[in-house]
Amino acid sequence: MMGYHPLVKRLLDGELSLAELPPELRAEGEEALRLLGAVDRAPVALSPLLDERVMAAVRSHAASPAHRAWRWLNTPREVELRLRLRPWTVWAGALAAAAGLALLLGRPAPAPERGLATQVRVGLRDSVFVRFVLYAPGARRVAVAGTFNQWDRSAAPLVPAGTSGVWTTTLALPVGQHQYAFVVDGARWVVDPAAPAVDDGFGRRNSIVAVTAQGAHTL
Amino acid sequence: MRTIGIAVSLVLGTTLAGGLGAQDVQVRLDRRVSPEVQRAVRGIAADAAAHGLPVDPLVQKAIEGGAKGVPGDRVIAAVRALAGRLAEAKEAVSEAGVAAPSGDVVEGGADALNAGISKGQVGELVRVSRPPQDPALTLRVAATLAALGVPATQAIQLVQGMISAGRSPSDLLGLPGQVQAGVARGATPAQAAAGLARAAGGPPPGRAPDWVPPGQRKPRNPHKP
Repeated sequence: MMGYHPLVKRLLDGELSLAELPPELRAEGEEALRLLGAVDRAPVALSPLLDERVMAAVRSHAASPAHRAWRWLNTPREVELRLRLRPWTVWAGALAAAAGLALLLGRPAPAPERGLATQVRVGLRDSVFVRFVLYAPGARRVAVAGTFNQWDRSAAPLVPAGTSGVWTTTLALPVGQHQYAFVVDGARWVVDPAAPAVDDGFGRRNSIVAVTAQGAHTL
Repeated sequence: MRTIGIAVSLVLGTTLAGGLGAQDVQVRLDRRVSPEVQRAVRGIAADAAAHGLPVDPLVQKAIEGGAKGVPGDRVIAAVRALAGRLAEAKEAVSEAGVAAPSGDVVEGGADALNAGISKGQVGELVRVSRPPQDPALTLRVAATLAALGVPATQAIQLVQGMISAGRSPSDLLGLPGQVQAGVARGATPAQAAAGLARAAGGPPPGRAPDWVPPGQRKPRNPHKP
């Protein structure tokens, strides 16, 4: 789009004549008129077939079964429903609905702890939470490794309980007997002093914990 | 056709008894133990599976050795020794009348043998471990008692006494903890176990004094016509 002077634009719109333009804009006005005159203003004649083609397409769309079905489903209708009820049935229905609502609202909500525990039992069937505790003052990191985590030294780290030197963690273990040991500072294997220990076959000892549905025993 | 059937049964039996296929063993050992240990353990596991022994304890032992930084030859020796104990335990359990023992029972038997309980005592304990008692559990309890220092014969007698007194599996599981508590109070493991054996002679907590274990006849009441 050319940036014509506003007075030239008015000339093109037929609001001004060329003589009414200031002398310095007349050349620009003449050029604009020349360019505009070059544009072909002949009327466009559309083919009579076009009209027919468009109307045929509209008719076929309106006649398609899918479209008709959709229109049938989507068109709002007036539906008249007449019920013949005895008054006592209305009252009985209302009472039943009220009783159902009261039962629904009156059901005691589970305590958060219990709900959580239940959820865990469902999700981890036959698993029981077992707490591991080790007193290891001066340790930089402590983990528990055993048959329940493929003896992975980094799978179950303990966290320090304050600055007392007590390290603790809680794991969900499957029911059964498990052997384990604590790993202090990533390298030192330590038996649980609070649990029985057995020979590990390598000249060291493993602690034993037995997990039953009732809880864990340091078996 | 019969040969195929037997072969299928053997393959299935081997796979099920082992619980792990050769591929699984390889996957579990990969990057956990050296290639040399992997090869040796694969061989031991295949042999164990062929004899209907559980393979999982062998793989676990190898992984444990790798995690603890135990030299490869010692890991292999430990796995081989465990395979031997599993075979001995299976034999003991089978001789006690359990034709197809589960891997858990065999493993429990191996634990008991490792704790110094004899093969005959393993069989004896399996024989008396009738439902609701699980032989795998009773064997492990006896093994742990022995590991705590209770003489093997006394450990077996204590567990047997608890079973015949009709105590629950949970009561049995509490025995090692009670022995430990006794030791903490100054008793020897044998003394602590003897005290528990005496207590086991009475009725379980919450039972009437004339209670008898299930399957046993109540003594006749002389005052009853």
